[in-house]
Amino acid sequence: MFDILDTGASGLAAQRTRLDTIAANIANINTTHGPNGEKSPFRRRMVMFAAGHPNNASKPGVHVQKIMQDPSPFIRKFDPGNPDAGTDGYVNMPNIDMSIEYVNALEASRAYEANVTMMETTKAMLNSTLRLIA
Amino acid sequence: MLIDKMINGGASPVLEQVLKFTEARQSMIADNIANKDTPGYRAKDLSVEKFQTMLRNHVEQANNGSPGSVNFDDIKSELEHPNNGILFHDGNNVSMEQLMSDNAKNVLLHNMIVELLKKQYQTMEMSLKDHAG
Repeated sequence: MFDILDTGASGLAAQRTRLDTIAANIANINTTHGPNGEKSPFRRRMVMFAAGHPNNASKPGVHVQKIMQDPSPFIRKFDPGNPDAGTDGYVNMPNIDMSIEYVNALEASRAYEANVTMMETTKAMLNSTLRLIA
Repeated sequence: MLIDKMINGGASPVLEQVLKFTEARQSMIADNIANKDTPGYRAKDLSVEKFQTMLRNHVEQANNGSPGSVNFDDIKSELEHPNNGILFHDGNNVSMEQLMSDNAKNVLLHNMIVELLKKQYQTMEMSLKDHAG
């Protein structure tokens, strides 16, 4: 009976992971080096969802299956003065489009809200059932 | 026994089945909302019509027989995949608007049934007190 709330919570966790990923994308929009200083532009991360509760896939809910890297080509920016520029004067910048990230962030937060609303109404429902006893 | 007739007769068993149904349906709706962005996810629902038909048949049987002679526990509801929403490019057909209205309707029905059941229990309590006093 209380499992319905777990379903909502799994939705919250999944959408939060998605928002985290989007935040990391936006934070790294100008990153051209890897964590160890090697020269490799940041690749956009994408979250893949799959049906089933994270702890038990046969139960209702949603979980993050994997976080993928966007294979699309890097954005080429002409900047000969940049130390990362190649011989032709172009710098490889992360393949991140700010507008796409914003739209995805908005969608994720709306989906988060939908799950919260769902949990609120379910809670009201469970409360009324529990009042039967009292 | 009197208490048996009070518990198994009347509307209480019917109301209990409806409560079970709304709870199961709420779980489906929650799953659909959680999987709103899952690629390839198909919306799930419990058929309200089939449940109501089955319930009506049981109620008619119970009205013809003696109280408690019909068992309401074997009422099942069928899982269905509604196909009336837009199928998005990721293979997902969850319709948020439909879900929100289903959710509201389901909760209202649930709360109404709870109120009715509460009244039933109150009536029962009243008559029991009368017997004791």
